[in-house]
Amino acid sequence: MNPALAAVAAVTISGAVLAVSARDVRATVLGLLVVLLGSPLIADPWPDPVSILARIAATLLAVRLIAIGLRGEVVTSGSRLGWPAEALFASAGAVIGFGSHGLGAAGLGPAEAQAAGFALIVLAAAPLVTGRDVVRLAVGALLLLVAASAIRAGLDPPPSQAEQLVDAILTIAIGGAIAVIATAARAAGGLDTINAGGPGDRAPRLPDAHRPPPDAHRPPPDEHHRPPPDRPTPVAAPNRTPRRAPKGPSPAPAKRPPEDAP
Amino acid sequence: MTVLPFLIVAAVAGTASLLVRAHRGWSTTFAVAGLGLMIASAASIGPSAGIRIGGAILAPSDWLRLYAVLGSIVGLLLVAVDGSAVHEPDVPGIVVLGLGAAVLALALPDPGIAVVAATAGGLAGILVAAPVGAAARAAFVGVRELRALAIAGALAIAATAWLARPLGDLSAVPAVFGLAYLAFAIAVAIRFGAIPFHLWAARVADAAPGVALPLLMAWGPAAFAAVALVWIDQSVAPLALPLGNERSLTAAIGAVSVVLGIVAALIQDDLEHVVGYTITADAGFVVLGLAAFDTAVWEPSRTWILVFVVGRSAFAAWAVAIHGGFGSRRLPELAGWARRAPVLGLALVVIAAVAIGWPGLIAWQARTALAHLALPGALAVVVAAAPLASAAIYARILWIGLRARGSAVRNGRGERPGWPSPWPRRPMVGLGRTERLLERSAHAFGGLLDILWTLPAAARLNRMPLASIAVLALAGLAFTVGSGGLGVPEAARAVPLIGELGPVAQPTPSSTPSSTPSGSIGPETTPAITFEPIGPSPSLSPSPSPSG
Repeated sequence: MNPALAAVAAVTISGAVLAVSARDVRATVLGLLVVLLGSPLIADPWPDPVSILARIAATLLAVRLIAIGLRGEVVTSGSRLGWPAEALFASAGAVIGFGSHGLGAAGLGPAEAQAAGFALIVLAAAPLVTGRDVVRLAVGALLLLVAASAIRAGLDPPPSQAEQLVDAILTIAIGGAIAVIATAARAAGGLDTINAGGPGDRAPRLPDAHRPPPDAHRPPPDEHHRPPPDRPTPVAAPNRTPRRAPKGPSPAPAKRPPEDAP
Repeated sequence: MTVLPFLIVAAVAGTASLLVRAHRGWSTTFAVAGLGLMIASAASIGPSAGIRIGGAILAPSDWLRLYAVLGSIVGLLLVAVDGSAVHEPDVPGIVVLGLGAAVLALALPDPGIAVVAATAGGLAGILVAAPVGAAARAAFVGVRELRALAIAGALAIAATAWLARPLGDLSAVPAVFGLAYLAFAIAVAIRFGAIPFHLWAARVADAAPGVALPLLMAWGPAAFAAVALVWIDQSVAPLALPLGNERSLTAAIGAVSVVLGIVAALIQDDLEHVVGYTITADAGFVVLGLAAFDTAVWEPSRTWILVFVVGRSAFAAWAVAIHGGFGSRRLPELAGWARRAPVLGLALVVIAAVAIGWPGLIAWQARTALAHLALPGALAVVVAAAPLASAAIYARILWIGLRARGSAVRNGRGERPGWPSPWPRRPMVGLGRTERLLERSAHAFGGLLDILWTLPAAARLNRMPLASIAVLALAGLAFTVGSGGLGVPEAARAVPLIGELGPVAQPTPSSTPSSTPSGSIGPETTPAITFEPIGPSPSLSPSPSPSG
């Protein structure tokens, strides 16, 4: 085991745990930034400087796009399991990935990359399957693609410069896609509005762990009427970002769209 | 010329079009200019002009050149129809970027990199599937599309990564190749929205602009499928492993998509849903092509991909023109459309003729070959003949169009051309010969200026006829491709020739053990070629590599 690569893999997995478990969207975006910055570095040998710069630039652009799409939003539904459980699941995935390096044959890349890939797949599964808001689903999709790339890095020879460039394009594309979807969802009322129109139309279920206070979704009505400093405000938007307008009376439940399946 | 200029033009024009998306006219102008340049650069791609960039090869071929040329022409006509009919935002830029990503994926001989490029191109389409400012429905559709694309991309990346290295003893384990093959085949089915993976695609057909449907559901996934075809032919098929169950499952997905897609299209009232399900049905034949481990499948698959994408693009453009002209996509509200839009009626007849086909037509031959290569006898006959049932889809639309006009059609634009202002009268007052000559010249110049100044208003007034002409041109292009014109069979048989770049691609005289001459369409056999991934050469196959 290469300790440096193991450390980079651990940081990447930690970022993924943060991204899937945090309710503050800024923490989620920070987690995605760590994942996207760390995953290309789990390689032996390391990519050349130009490739690293390209990946960093793509990552910064993608995360910036995501941040623009989420501007003003403060919370997502987060993980219902809590970060300790997510971290344990990720650790189990990493152990399995490390132990099965090569998947039956000799892997040409570092085992740490495959370990990170397996951990990210484990972390992506729950948001992809049960995600009830835009950010959760998008984080799952992003982690899944990063996981596949990490597994490829663990199985195959180091990627060429061209492959790094194409990976950078993929990073920008998924960042832009997440930004567009988040913007559309916010325009429609909030990140969780994608539940409307979905099959089943189930009401959102409150998280089981670390239940947020009831006013977590309600921003202060006015800048001059901020809550006193000693009052717990778990999620607060930065001053320079515009706050969401207070929600009016709850809208009527969205009509279920016509079923498209034959 | 290499494929690089095409990619640069696509990247620059598409990005510029999206950067000025707030100004719709400029956005469309950048995209149209880019598509024009892309046609020129695609036509000048040399089949042997490979280029090595950053350790990877961009290897063109005749088929890639035809795909790029057809894609650019179709994209230009789609933008024209869009501008004439509904003028949806962001569509022109996304068409340009999506085409660029698809061509990049097709030019990369290493499937591991190509699937990443194809996935990135698919993600760009989300911009039009989830338009900013739309209702929750758009976000719902967009995030489901994102999930489908991510799952398909991850499956394909993992599958290609697993087999792209020396496998040692693992190469004797059929389950490994079966799993990898199944993962990639399912990824292709997901990208196409093949049944039973069609729910996200149906929602996209509902929410996305109609003019973007060909890119989202046909051109992009077709590039993904072409990469899968190369990968299967390169990494799985040559080993002649017993993968009966996996192939049967893939063939079942393809056959079910063909049959149920036609049934679903028949019962839909929304034109974009009809277009979406006919795409699903036609994509079923592409999925069938993945189930046939035979070099003979190479030519009909690539022929059918071109026929399918151009034909469905024409049908989608027809639906957009109808929507723009009469303000409705629902068939019950479009009674009498053919009476007010006879050019669109003619275009629909041409589109239907290509979609249904007849024995001897290159499209029919390709479809039949794919069904017989992937399915057992009786089932192959049923699936190959299933598109005949799509005649009912087009007959229903035409029958509705020939009924008495409904209110939507009466209030719609119609195809009758018009001129926004009366022609000015210029009486002659000159007496002498020279005087009258000069006066006539002045009148001619003034009349020309009158026409030029009125052209924008005339274009706005004649949006429906202009859209109809563009749709008719697309239908004609679809008929040309479907009947084997533009060198489609030859391009489908062609393989990349990049020998001057060294050992990356090596034409080999012999074919795979299971290969047979691809004589189902043309008399010539398919030459074989080896694509080897960048890096250490894999030792998967004890035999020469398959045709690529």
